[in-house]
Amino acid sequence: MIRTYTCIMCPIGCEITAEYEGGEVLSVSGNRCAKGENYVRQELTCPMRNIATSVRVSGGELPLASVRLTSPIPLERIPEAVREIHRVELTAPVRGGDVLIKDLLGLGADVIATKDIEKA
Amino acid sequence: MDFDFDVLVIGAGAVGCAAARELTRWKLRVAVAEKNNDLFGGTSARNSAVLHAGFNNKPGTLMAKLCVEGNRGFDELARELDVPYKRTGKLIVGFDEDDRRRLEALLEQGRANGVPGLSMIGKDEIRRLAPNVMGEFAMLSESTAILDPFRYVLALAENALKNGARFLFSHEVTGIERLNGGWEVSFGEKRLTCRWIVNSAGLYADKISDMLGKKGYVIYPCRGEYFILDKRVGELLPMPAYPVPNIRTGGLGIHLTPTMDGNVLIGPSTEYIGERDDYSATAPTMDMLIRDGSRIFPHIRREHYIRNFSGIRPKLAGPDKGGYNDFVIERLDGAVNLVGIESPGLTASMPIAKLVVEMIGEVEDLEKNESFDPVSRRAPVFRELSREEQAKLAEKDPDYGEIICRCENVTRAEILAAIRSPLGARTVTGVKYRCRSTMGRCQGGYCQTRIAEMLMEELSLTPEEVLYSQEGSNMFTGRAIR
Amino acid sequence: MRTVDKKIVVIGAGPAGLAAAIALHERGERDILLLEREKKPGGILRQCIHDGFGLTRFGESLSGPEYAARFIARAKELGIEIVTGATVVGLDADKTVTAVAADGMTAYRAQAVVLAMGCRERTRGALAIPGRRPAGVYTAGVAQAYINLKNIMVGREAVILGSGDIGMIMARRLTLEGAHVKGVYEIQPYPSGLPRNVEQCLNDYGIPLHLSRTVTEIHGRDRLEAVTVSRVDERMKPIPGSEERIECDTLILSVGLITENELTRMAGAQIDPRTSGAVIDEHFQTEVKGIFAAGNVLHVHDLVDFVSLEAEQLAASVTEYLHGGLDECGVEVSGEGVIQLIPQRVSAKRDVTFALRPAKPGRNAKLRVEQDGTVLAEKRIPRALPAEMAQITVKAEKFLSDSPVKVVLSFD
Repeated sequence: MIRTYTCIMCPIGCEITAEYEGGEVLSVSGNRCAKGENYVRQELTCPMRNIATSVRVSGGELPLASVRLTSPIPLERIPEAVREIHRVELTAPVRGGDVLIKDLLGLGADVIATKDIEKA
Repeated sequence: MDFDFDVLVIGAGAVGCAAARELTRWKLRVAVAEKNNDLFGGTSARNSAVLHAGFNNKPGTLMAKLCVEGNRGFDELARELDVPYKRTGKLIVGFDEDDRRRLEALLEQGRANGVPGLSMIGKDEIRRLAPNVMGEFAMLSESTAILDPFRYVLALAENALKNGARFLFSHEVTGIERLNGGWEVSFGEKRLTCRWIVNSAGLYADKISDMLGKKGYVIYPCRGEYFILDKRVGELLPMPAYPVPNIRTGGLGIHLTPTMDGNVLIGPSTEYIGERDDYSATAPTMDMLIRDGSRIFPHIRREHYIRNFSGIRPKLAGPDKGGYNDFVIERLDGAVNLVGIESPGLTASMPIAKLVVEMIGEVEDLEKNESFDPVSRRAPVFRELSREEQAKLAEKDPDYGEIICRCENVTRAEILAAIRSPLGARTVTGVKYRCRSTMGRCQGGYCQTRIAEMLMEELSLTPEEVLYSQEGSNMFTGRAIR
Repeated sequence: MRTVDKKIVVIGAGPAGLAAAIALHERGERDILLLEREKKPGGILRQCIHDGFGLTRFGESLSGPEYAARFIARAKELGIEIVTGATVVGLDADKTVTAVAADGMTAYRAQAVVLAMGCRERTRGALAIPGRRPAGVYTAGVAQAYINLKNIMVGREAVILGSGDIGMIMARRLTLEGAHVKGVYEIQPYPSGLPRNVEQCLNDYGIPLHLSRTVTEIHGRDRLEAVTVSRVDERMKPIPGSEERIECDTLILSVGLITENELTRMAGAQIDPRTSGAVIDEHFQTEVKGIFAAGNVLHVHDLVDFVSLEAEQLAASVTEYLHGGLDECGVEVSGEGVIQLIPQRVSAKRDVTFALRPAKPGRNAKLRVEQDGTVLAEKRIPRALPAEMAQITVKAEKFLSDSPVKVVLSFD
């Protein structure tokens, strides 16, 4: 299978083509540097992503507090991660930076609130 | 027999509401049944909002007579009901000798109908009155006015309600049975009895007429699409400007009409359609509106479009008959039948209402309702006030200090009033027609979320229950995160 | 109505307004007032809960609210007055700013005014999409506000028109919050937004991107039932016979942002029809002396980090204005191969940085500034995208005369 990526490591944005078969990267071409190759290899084998979503807040000025992860997790774990995060219910006040879940799914990332929510 | 109501009006459009109001001048128990969940569901909320002079109608017809009467009586009516309107006058512009001949015939027709203030004017005069309108010469109609049709219908309804009429929304007539001295009307499972029926069902007047036993009328729905242009264009057009009407197409031509709020309407088009509620906008028509509108008003550009809408004329004659038929206003046994009330129906609504009362009065003695109050006023409209008045209002009531619809300067107080008033809004569109919110440039980009929230709060609705307009137009599926 | 004298009034406490106010304070200005119509400052960032903000400014990938919080905290620290729940309803050429709030109406007489009102979305009405008016058609920003701020879900089966960044962000947002996005349809033959978003918002979630397509009809009387999508030709006109019906209950429109210039017009400042924002000079000053503009109200940005920078540059100019006046800018600027070019007038006596967007995407673009047939400054853009704002600086000494200046972007 062949996939093309626009690299996001620097403004040049090389168009990198990779050959990929049975979980193995066979070839990478079009990159101008190692960063691009590493980016594509990571994307092909285990793309990592940060995600943002919200959790419910009771008694607050707003019904939701936005949250994100402190570091990326594998893309394939995202649906599970979101389900886990949505289980959280907070009570106002909430402070941006509050750790809501430590080490989400054992993947090394914490879930933090990204907004202050005052009491209603 | 004890009837639930003396008079049941079917259809809460301008004519139905005007009829209801006029009927409450007398000691009659009046109810208005409307199939939609709110006012503004039919033709009365989808038109050019013009108070016509009456020169476009054949002499001797009801259309001509009642249009001229309605136009003449509007100053007083607007005062009583606090309806914004302006006698802008209107220009019918022409370019060649054919046009001139037709304009002169129109002028003659107008004079024959008793229309005041008609004259032929030249290019210079056009330039003086409306500097941006193109035309070699024109007929000027001084009595033509523009009005706020939403406030008009709402005011009629509120005044009728105030004087004792009852409004039954989401009441679609499914059957009518003759009783001794009256009728039994079915709305699905529900039934009501009444002595008189007034058929002001607009697009469905033929069906109601059938149910009343007067068969044979057929309504030909004829859609007219419009474009609404930005207020910046409105600054360039002080009065309606129309091309010379073309008898062949059965419409009035592509018009340019300023609105009371400063927008410009282009349209309406003319298209006979199959369904009575297909308010779709169509691509070829939209292109045509821009093209033809630009002929007499070259200032139109893509960036000026706010949105389009359409209205459907309840015509009694199809395209093969030239699409023209006079109003049908007739008394049946126990009913007043109003069929084919298309333009100038809005202008003629009050005279038609008076005829309704007259017809009922021919058959029975009516006793005056001494407590009838013709006046209904609006709550203060922030954007219409001077800065000083606005400041006073905002100081007195913090809800007047919170602007919800930025484009149209509609405050929280007005939206709350719209929801809380007796014929209150229950939907986003209902708030729109009562306040103008979401009618501006951003089309609700800023205010819609706030209005939805206010509706949920005031009416204790869950997100799933919030409606955009009619039943079934639910806006949301529920909470995002449950 | 109260009348209050304020040295500087900033209209809008979003990223541009906040950065401007803070920079002004740090430059020694006092008596600054920030007017914000929402109940909380932060502007559009409050609903942009995804990360990617602050990469250049803070070296971190923050969410919108976190980026805004940094500035709000700093403003609080400095004691800058922020009045929320106040809508500006009037702006005069004499710099009187009239605002209405719960406590009434106030006319602020300012010596300098900063316009930072941001922008709004292009609507369905403005696009004139044929069809009916069912519920279920939302612009992307409105859908985002419902989901992220109000905890309200707009639909289950969505089609997105427009592959701008907001549309793609919403494709991901809808998916994460449980809806099914059937596809993103883009009228251009290339995506309108950044490649990173195509990858992380669409490809990640298997959401197909269809180019050279547009929605040509909306179906459904009360609630959306389907849309008709057609292919378009090189002139972006629908090709008859290419229609495809797609069942859905939600249509999200991400079809462009329009700078919000009601107040700018009221003050009598000239609007550039190409940016739909004010015509400004190199000092970010509009035609009305003492009224300045920065951020999305001036031209639509793609990176908030640059909005903050721009607002800080504006602050330097405002300070100069208040303490002695600014150089006249009589040199006209035009563009070729670029869109959304600012400033539109320069003095030709100072360093100036032009900001613009490539009119078309392409590789190996050459961006240069010319005057009197000479190149004053030049740079290469390896990958030029309309989705990415570009800048080019011309040093003061490079200007040759008072002749008009042209900013040109071309491809080899």
